[in-house]
Amino acid sequence: MADQEKTDLFRKHKDEYASPKKPVRVFVKKATYLAIDGEGGPGGEIFQAKIGALYAMAYTIKMTRKFGGKRDYVVCKLETQWWHDDGGSDLGDVSKDEWRWKMLIRTPGFVRPAEVAGAAAVLIEKGKGAEVENVKLETLSEGECVQMLHVGPYENEGESVAVMKIFAEKEGLVFHGRHHDIYISDPRRVPPERLKTILRHPVKKKAKS
Amino acid sequence: MKETTLQDYKERMLRVLIHIQQRLDDDLPLEELARIAFFSPFHFHRVFRGMIGESVKSHVRRLRLERAAMRLKSSAVSITTIAFDARYEAPEAFTRAFRAMYGESPSEYRSGRNPLSRKPTPSGVHFQEKGSLKNFNPLNSGVETMEVTIKKLEPMRVAFMRHVGPYSECGPTWDRFVPKLGKLGLLGPDTMFLGICYDDPEITPPDKIRYDVCVTVDEDFKPEDDLGVQVIPAGEYAMTTHIGPFEKLGVTWAKLMGEWLPRSGRELRQAPCLEIYLTDPENTDPEDLITDIYAPLTER
Repeated sequence: MADQEKTDLFRKHKDEYASPKKPVRVFVKKATYLAIDGEGGPGGEIFQAKIGALYAMAYTIKMTRKFGGKRDYVVCKLETQWWHDDGGSDLGDVSKDEWRWKMLIRTPGFVRPAEVAGAAAVLIEKGKGAEVENVKLETLSEGECVQMLHVGPYENEGESVAVMKIFAEKEGLVFHGRHHDIYISDPRRVPPERLKTILRHPVKKKAKS
Repeated sequence: MKETTLQDYKERMLRVLIHIQQRLDDDLPLEELARIAFFSPFHFHRVFRGMIGESVKSHVRRLRLERAAMRLKSSAVSITTIAFDARYEAPEAFTRAFRAMYGESPSEYRSGRNPLSRKPTPSGVHFQEKGSLKNFNPLNSGVETMEVTIKKLEPMRVAFMRHVGPYSECGPTWDRFVPKLGKLGLLGPDTMFLGICYDDPEITPPDKIRYDVCVTVDEDFKPEDDLGVQVIPAGEYAMTTHIGPFEKLGVTWAKLMGEWLPRSGRELRQAPCLEIYLTDPENTDPEDLITDIYAPLTER
């Protein structure tokens, strides 16, 4: 019945969510997300409000569709792009205040902007926070990427990123664009040492010197 | 300190076990068993299963079969009478149950030369003539490593829909419930998804199990159509986290109620148990599902 038609983008694009312990190359096609932007390190009141708004929007849009008997889909895991405006992608180079991020939940292309606006309106009417208005549909085309599974605290991601960089180098590639996390585990209960995160970084061919 | 508590729970449970052994011919309703040991009848069966490792029902059934086995060996009473005394209406049903436990039929067992045999049980409790049971081993599957937090919950106002039937079939109720709330704009950043569990699937017939699917709502929400509103009263709870499939929640419940509780110095309050679901079963592998379970406690 409805279950068979349910779209699960994570499953459908399994190759794009490859999560080996060692880095691999993946190709990520153009994809649509619900997105919200922010800055600063993780945690804190604004960060929490924004993450809450993104989830509230994702579920309100999905459940409103489901209620209306429209095509159902699975709400994907949270993903986040991290970067800073200094050009380089190495977050370790700057203080957390300078970090910028875009939180994402991958969403089927059949979700219309009007549905997003409608969900924001109904949430605001119920007093569920103004941040929902900042949630928008966006597309990313990351293309060629290096990707691996990071197991452990988020603070230690740098170690895995270093491994990815060495791998890219060997493949004749260099990082460009924004670092991208895909959160597989729920940090509210999973201990830091067991947290699973897919790390992704877009790459391009190294310029011949 | 902790030992004393466990000792106290043990003594109370021992009274129940002896009572059962002395009255195997009776009906042994749960309320009566709970009363004997001053347990809340509401949760008694969970404590029993957690401490003894089997449900009250299967415990009583096993003891009746053990008594029957003893009589087969030590008396000339007819198998039909023994079957009847073990509370089987038909000898065939008795034979089936007996074979399942002892690997041979009652008559084979009676004429065989095998000595009286018993399957080992974790609690070490077996049928003793005249209920002369002296001791038992409360289950301990390494409960020391179980992380339990005492939590004081504020009153929680929730919208809910009642599901009546097996827990495994509550999915369609959730599927009707959540989209409705979503459309109304009630799935906000702080919304919690809860289940109120009134019945234990081990003692309540599957078609009678009551379970409320709930999400937290604020004062403005008024009941409509089939969406009810209730307030989960404030109170203290023992909370632990279950990580894994919903089908295995029973194991964690048994551990909390039967192993942690007797060592905790606390008593259960007569109120339903709560489950709070932190992960979305649609996008989470069953092994990674996170559920906080809450057992209501009396105030100290």
